[in-house]
Amino acid sequence: MTSALCCVAGLFFLRFWRKTRDRFFAFFATSFLLMALHRMVSLYLRDDNEHLITAYIIRLFSFVLILVAIADKNRGGPRKKEAAPRGMDSAR
Amino acid sequence: MAEAVFVLCAVTSLACAVLLLRGYARNRVPLLLWSSLCFVGLAVNNLLLVVDLIIIPGRDLLVLRNLSGLLSLALLVFGLVWDSE
Repeated sequence: MTSALCCVAGLFFLRFWRKTRDRFFAFFATSFLLMALHRMVSLYLRDDNEHLITAYIIRLFSFVLILVAIADKNRGGPRKKEAAPRGMDSAR
Repeated sequence: MAEAVFVLCAVTSLACAVLLLRGYARNRVPLLLWSSLCFVGLAVNNLLLVVDLIIIPGRDLLVLRNLSGLLSLALLVFGLVWDSE
């Protein structure tokens, strides 16, 4: 179920990326889809401690992607920040 | 090696949570609030993982770990559904 929620979050961010073409959302979408992959891999490797590390490296990579997304966003300057919430604010 | 990856997961998720919360404090974008709440939960999830597998290996925190992960993601998806059209 957590894996499915990760997929849903990933798809939402993918939609935001398609709308705004902001790389920030592409990083988030990839990260959440990787988190879903991590959950599925660790489910299959439940009894295999030796290979469980592979699953957690995927998880680590997904968190690093979020950090890259934030760093990339800050480097891009405040102009790009305006574009990010557009998808959300149009609903208000 | 495994321990290092678990600790790094906890540190990176905590950093994500702090940076996203800082972003929300600056910009007040609802999406950033939901994302940061999710990463606070995921940081708790990873801290529980470190406690469970490294600090107190005898105690089984699997239920709490799964629950914290599920709640964090559920919160984010709720936010995404609630705040978008």
